[in-house]
Amino acid sequence: MPDKDKMSVEEILAACRKLDGGGDTSASQPSAAEEPPAPAATPAAEPPSGKKPSEMSVEEILAAARAEKAGRGEASSSEASAPTSAAAPVAPKKKPSEMSVEEILAAARAEKSRPATPAKPAAKPKPAASAKPAAKSSPKPAAGGKKPSGPLDTASILAAARKGSKRGPVSKEEAARTAAPAAAKAGSRVPPMPSKPDFLRPAAKSKPAESRRGFFGSLIGIVFGSAMAVGFVSLAVTQLLWLLGFARFMFPNILIEPPSKFKVGFPDVIGPGQVVTKFKAQFGVWIVRNEYEGVDQIYALRSVCTHLGCTPNWLEAEQKFKCPCHGSGFYKNGINFEGPAPRPLERYAITIADDGQLEVDKSRKFQQELGQWNDPQSFVPV
Amino acid sequence: MHGHVDHATFLQQISSFLGFYYIALAAMNGIAALAIWRGGRSKTLFRVGPLTFTNALLWTVVAFFFLLMAPLAMSGSEPLMRWVSMPDAFKHAADAVMGPVAYSLGSFLILAVLFSFRKFFVKTWVAWLGLNLSFLFMGLSITDPDFAAIVTKPDNVPIVGLIFLLGFFTWLATAKAVKNDERIARGEKPLEAVDNEKILVWPDLVYTELICMVALTALLLLWGIALQAPLEEPASSVKTPNPSKAPWYFLGLQEMLVYYDPWMAGVVLPSVVIVGLMAIPYIDFNRRGNGYYTINERKFAYVIFQFGFLVLWVTLIVMGTFLRGPNWNFFGFYETWDVHKVVPMNNVDLSEYFWIRGLGREMPRAPEGSGAGLELLYILWREAPGIILLIGYFTVIPPAMVVYSKFFRNMYLKMGLIRFMVMSHLLLLMGLLPIKMVCRWSFDLKYFIAIKEYFLNF
Repeated sequence: MPDKDKMSVEEILAACRKLDGGGDTSASQPSAAEEPPAPAATPAAEPPSGKKPSEMSVEEILAAARAEKAGRGEASSSEASAPTSAAAPVAPKKKPSEMSVEEILAAARAEKSRPATPAKPAAKPKPAASAKPAAKSSPKPAAGGKKPSGPLDTASILAAARKGSKRGPVSKEEAARTAAPAAAKAGSRVPPMPSKPDFLRPAAKSKPAESRRGFFGSLIGIVFGSAMAVGFVSLAVTQLLWLLGFARFMFPNILIEPPSKFKVGFPDVIGPGQVVTKFKAQFGVWIVRNEYEGVDQIYALRSVCTHLGCTPNWLEAEQKFKCPCHGSGFYKNGINFEGPAPRPLERYAITIADDGQLEVDKSRKFQQELGQWNDPQSFVPV
Repeated sequence: MHGHVDHATFLQQISSFLGFYYIALAAMNGIAALAIWRGGRSKTLFRVGPLTFTNALLWTVVAFFFLLMAPLAMSGSEPLMRWVSMPDAFKHAADAVMGPVAYSLGSFLILAVLFSFRKFFVKTWVAWLGLNLSFLFMGLSITDPDFAAIVTKPDNVPIVGLIFLLGFFTWLATAKAVKNDERIARGEKPLEAVDNEKILVWPDLVYTELICMVALTALLLLWGIALQAPLEEPASSVKTPNPSKAPWYFLGLQEMLVYYDPWMAGVVLPSVVIVGLMAIPYIDFNRRGNGYYTINERKFAYVIFQFGFLVLWVTLIVMGTFLRGPNWNFFGFYETWDVHKVVPMNNVDLSEYFWIRGLGREMPRAPEGSGAGLELLYILWREAPGIILLIGYFTVIPPAMVVYSKFFRNMYLKMGLIRFMVMSHLLLLMGLLPIKMVCRWSFDLKYFIAIKEYFLNF
C-alpha cells in the first residue's frame, strides 16, 4: 500500500480493504495515535495514503455537504443531522492551510454541534496537523466502516461505495427502492425441498391377520408392554396408595376422648367443703363437697369458664375459682360472682356406682340458669 | 420472674445495662447540644452577669447529669443505686393511686391536655424534654424488680419500643399539622402544597427502601441474638397460664372482653371497628386536609379517630401488657404480681338492679312447665330495662344530636339521613365501650341485657 504519489480510486479501495481485513491493526490504532514514536512503520507509511484520498475528496465532500444543506427538507431530521456533522469534520483532517476561512469555521461549528463521542478525533488535528493525519486516518476505517453515523472520512465513504449504497442521507424513496429488490431476492431464494430418500420412507404396513389372540396379545402388550404404559400404571397405583394413606391419616388410631364415665373414689374420703382438684388435669372436672340450697352434697363441676372457655384455677385461700384470662370468679358452688362470666359453671352427672365409688358421666351437663341443678343426677347427697 | 433472685443479685444484673443506658442518654443529649451549637441554632435562655446560658449549654448540662448517673448506676451496690432509683414514697403512692379507673381516665386526660395545648407541646425543646423525662422515668424505675420484670420481659420489650415510636410519630404528625394550621390561618398554602416537587421511584424511593430493609434485617438479627424467644410450657387444654395474655396487638380486645360478653367483644365490636373504618370514606364529606397534615380543618375527624386509636386501643394495649397480672387483676407499675391479690368485683346485672334492688321484687320467671315461647316472653320482660335503655340509646340520641347541637345539625344537612344515621350509630357503638367501663367501675354493672339462657349478653 505504500505509494507516496497520487493513488487511483482502486488503489485507495485496496488499501482500505487491507485495513478492514486486518482487525488487529485497526484495534491497535488508537494506542498508536496516542504515542506517535512507538509504531514506526505505520506512521511512516500512512501519511501519504491518508492525506491523498482526503485531499482529493475535499471538494466532493464539501459539495455533498452543500447539496445536503440545500435538500434538507426531503431528508428526515435525524438523517440530515448525521451527514452534516459527519461531512464537515473531514475538512480539518486535510491540511488546514488548504482550507478557506469559511470552511474552517463551518468545520468548527459542525465540530461543536457534534455529540461527545467524536470529541477525540476533533482534538487530534490540533496538536500536529502536518504529522498526525496519518495516525488519524488509520483509525477511521475501523470506526467509519462500522458506524455510518460518526464523522465520515474517505475510507468509510469508500466502504459505503463498495457496499453499493448511497453515501449520505437516504430519502424514503431511495430506501424503498433499495429494500424492494432485496426482499424480492430473498423471496426467490427459497431452496427446494430435497426429495426423501427411499430408506427414509416408511415401509408399507403388512396388515396383520385379525385374530383374537392377536387382539389380546396387543392389548396386553399395550398395558404391560410399552415403557410408557408401565410408567403411567405405576404412577396411578402410587397415587392411589397415597390417597388411601391420606384418608387413613384423617382417622388416626386414637381414642378421641377419655371415657366419658370414670370413677373418682369413694364419697366418704371427701371432707365437708373440700374441692378435689386432682382430676382437673386428666378429666377437666372438680369434685366438690359443699352445701347447696341447704343440702350437703357432692357434685362435679366442669373446669371450663363460661365466659370464653379458659380453665379457671381453684384458689384455696380465697375459696373461689378464678379465671386467668379475664378475671371471672366463681364461688365454691360454681355461681359466678365477679368478672365478665355471664353464668355459673356447669355440672356433670354424678352417681354412685355399684362398687360404692363416685362415678362422673361427662356426657350429661346440668346448667344452673336452666334450673337443672335440682336434677338428682347432678349431685350425690351425703 | 418474681422472687427468683434476691435484691442484691437483681441490682447486679440490672446495673451493667443501666450504666450503658445512662451513657447512651448522655451521648444523645451531647450530640443534640453539638448539633444545636454547630447548626447555629443556639438561643439565649437567660443571662447571669457576664454568663449567657444557651439551649446548647442546657442540653450539655443534661448530658453531664446523665454522665454522673452512669457510674452510680453501674456500681451495682444498693446504697449507691438508691440515688438512681425512684423514691419508695413515690412508688407506694403510685401503686396506691393506680387502678383501672385512674389509669384509663388519667391517660385520657393527659392525651386531652396534650391535644389542647398542642401548640406548646410540638415545640422541639418541649418534645426533647419530654423524651428525656420519659427515659429518666424508665431508668429510675427499672431498679425496681417488679417494674423491671414487666418491662424487660422479652414479650414486652418491643412494646416499650413501640410506645416511644408511637409517641414520636404522633408528635411528628401533630407538629406538621400545627405548622400547616398556622400557615393556613395566615392565608398561606400548607407546606406540602408549596414543596410538591415529585421525586423518582427509582432511585429515590427504591434506595430508601433498600436501606430500610438492610437496617431492619440487621436490627432483627441483633434482636434475635440478644433476646431469647419467649417460649412457654407445652400447651394443655386443662391448664391455662396465669395470666393468660393475647398477642400484644389483641390486648385491647382482651381488655374489652373484661367488660363485654365474648360474642360482643370478640365478634360484633371488632367487626364494627373494621366496617366503620371502611365506611369512613363514604361518611366523610370534608374535602379539606387532602394530602397535607392539618388538625383545625378537620377537627371532628381527627379527634374521633385519635380517641378511638390512642385512648380506646393503644392505652388498653399498654394496660393489658404492663398492668394486668395474675387472674387478670390490675397491678401498679411497682406492685408484685401476687396470685392471691383479692380485688372485689362482685358484678350485678342491670335486671337485678332494677327488679330486686330497685323494686324489691323477685325477678320475673316463667311458671314451672311453661313452653319455650312463654319462657322467652318472660325473659324479655325480665330484661326489659336493659332492652329499652339500649333501644333508646340508639334511637333517641341521633335525633337529639341534630335537634340540640348546631354542629351535628350542619352535619346532618350536609350528609343526609342515611349517612348521618350510619355515622351517629358508629359513634354510639364506639361510645359503648367507655360507657360500659365507667358503669362497671362505678356501679359494678355486669350486663345491660343478660339473656344467659340463650348466650346473649350485652
